Amino acid sequence: MPNIVVCFKWVIDEAYIRRGSSGELDFSSVSYKISDYDRNAIEEAVRLRNESGGRVAAVTVGSPEATKGLKDALSRGPDQAYFINDASFENIEPSQTSAILADVIGSKIEYDLIICGEGSSDLYTQQVGPRLAERLGIPCISFVLKLTIDGNHIIAERKVEDGVEVTAAPMPVLVTVLPDINTPRIPGVKDTLMASKKEVVNIAKDDLAQTYEPTLQTTAMTAASMERRCVKFGAEPGDIAGFVEALEKEGVLR
Amino acid sequence: MDFKLTEEQELIRQNMREFAEKYVDPIASEIDENSRHPVEVFQKLAEGDWMGIPIPAEYGGAGADYLTHALVVEELSRSCSSTGFTLSIHVGIACMLVLMFGDEDQKKKYLVPMATGEKLGAFVLTEPGAGTDVMAATTTAVLDGDEYVINGTKTFTSNGPTGDTYFVFAWTDKEAGRKGMSAFIVPKETPGMQAGTHFQKMGLRSSQTSEMLFKDCRVPKENLLGQEGRGLVMAMTGFDHGRIGISAQSVGIIQAALDESIKWSKERVQFGKPISRQQAIAWMIADMATDLDAARFLTYRAAWLKDQGVNFSKEAAMAKLFAAEAAMKHTIKAVQIHGGYGYVKGAKVERLMRDAKITEIYEGTSEAQRMVISGTVLR
Repeated sequence: MPNIVVCFKWVIDEAYIRRGSSGELDFSSVSYKISDYDRNAIEEAVRLRNESGGRVAAVTVGSPEATKGLKDALSRGPDQAYFINDASFENIEPSQTSAILADVIGSKIEYDLIICGEGSSDLYTQQVGPRLAERLGIPCISFVLKLTIDGNHIIAERKVEDGVEVTAAPMPVLVTVLPDINTPRIPGVKDTLMASKKEVVNIAKDDLAQTYEPTLQTTAMTAASMERRCVKFGAEPGDIAGFVEALEKEGVLR
Repeated sequence: MDFKLTEEQELIRQNMREFAEKYVDPIASEIDENSRHPVEVFQKLAEGDWMGIPIPAEYGGAGADYLTHALVVEELSRSCSSTGFTLSIHVGIACMLVLMFGDEDQKKKYLVPMATGEKLGAFVLTEPGAGTDVMAATTTAVLDGDEYVINGTKTFTSNGPTGDTYFVFAWTDKEAGRKGMSAFIVPKETPGMQAGTHFQKMGLRSSQTSEMLFKDCRVPKENLLGQEGRGLVMAMTGFDHGRIGISAQSVGIIQAALDESIKWSKERVQFGKPISRQQAIAWMIADMATDLDAARFLTYRAAWLKDQGVNFSKEAAMAKLFAAEAAMKHTIKAVQIHGGYGYVKGAKVERLMRDAKITEIYEGTSEAQRMVISGTVLR
């Protein structure tokens, strides 16, 4: 019966980000959600537990305000949650997130299988899973479409450029999953009400073995903009030449 | 003062939004067109414990508060107000009547299957000659040995053709006036009860509405809800609860009208710019957003008062009056903003406008709400 750890990130729901009048990103009325692929990761962890037994622990690193995210995650079926929180964990880098996760998972949680989403809905760096596996010294299987537990091994179907690769690895192992792997549930009313009754282990910055410093610096963040020139082109050769000319004039082609 | 929902309420609302987008939006136009009760949606609602939110877990419900139920009706109605209403009357009136007035056996036998969503409830009060004037009803129930014999004709019964458990109001002692009406639980397929004409309506079309005919319909004595003579009080209490649901339904309609109007007005270009940048349109949307908040806060206040265990009749009537009239007013504006495109079948605003009208009529007309409100403030 495997002990499964599933990692999730509580992110800004991109649907609520607005563009300010001078092109800046406006986060003033945003709502948060569990990162999209992490919902698949949670669903897969719970599905495997229901099939093979064992336990599922959901782990997240974030700001102390993210308690709604914990309830959301727990309403989707995990047995308990580890909430590694500090006000300074709001906008940390993948290198820090993976180091903090490795610190806690390696020292406090028994695990046979760790499931992460392929990438987060906000940054989508696809780094946290592989970096975490590296720090824990366990195999990592990415782009996973299907997972099966076979004795002490995990069998994973991976999406690769020209097909599907079937891979096996001994547990403990980390996998990162694609959205194709399952359809996340919509929690029922009782699931949500029961979530706050499940165990949450709070872990503070001071409980970590060390501090993990950022290596990147964000200098600016602006909204992508789109301007319409309202020019129409037909399919005639002359039009196509005109189209290329227009792209060059706008600096799209150089 | 705190306008914040709990984290659970927010999550439940978001989950219902996702549910409605996934299961209801794709069929809303079709069930309106065909006047079809979406059985498949109600099976899914039952699976997710959405059919008995404010009913205690021991009676098959989710054991949450009434405000949570209102939030769910609102979000469901935002996608399809017929579906939202069917849920609202099932929980707000049918389930609540047994919870508040039923004995332990009745709760086990009738409330549990309704709260789990296995069975659908229907409220059978209105008659051809007795709408707002409930006292003009003529349906009777006469005790004969161990059974009551019900005779009469009811009409405009929501869930009439599709219900499983009917709450039927009839005179047990006409002479006793306001203390002469009683309520009975009549299960589907009880001989002597049958759904009559199934009405084709202007809006709210996937909600099934019919006459209910009673001819020597015999129910055992134990199917009397509460005591004899308390029917009118029960009906009024049922309405108080149901009205919060209709208010929430109306809020969902206004929200949908606003969603559609914002989306459309930003896309639709006339005179060289999106119509959202024409003041005439922008102000319509400002008024819509303002009345939406007002309707929403009146609705939440009524639900909150209910959850506090204090009297909320006047507040429920105010919420229902305001939200229903705002829903009608702003769905007309939403069609106006859409112009000809909003008048075409299949446009969501066209359905919203037809659906809105009934909120000013059922579970007490707007005039009846003013009677309740003035009756309280002028007391």
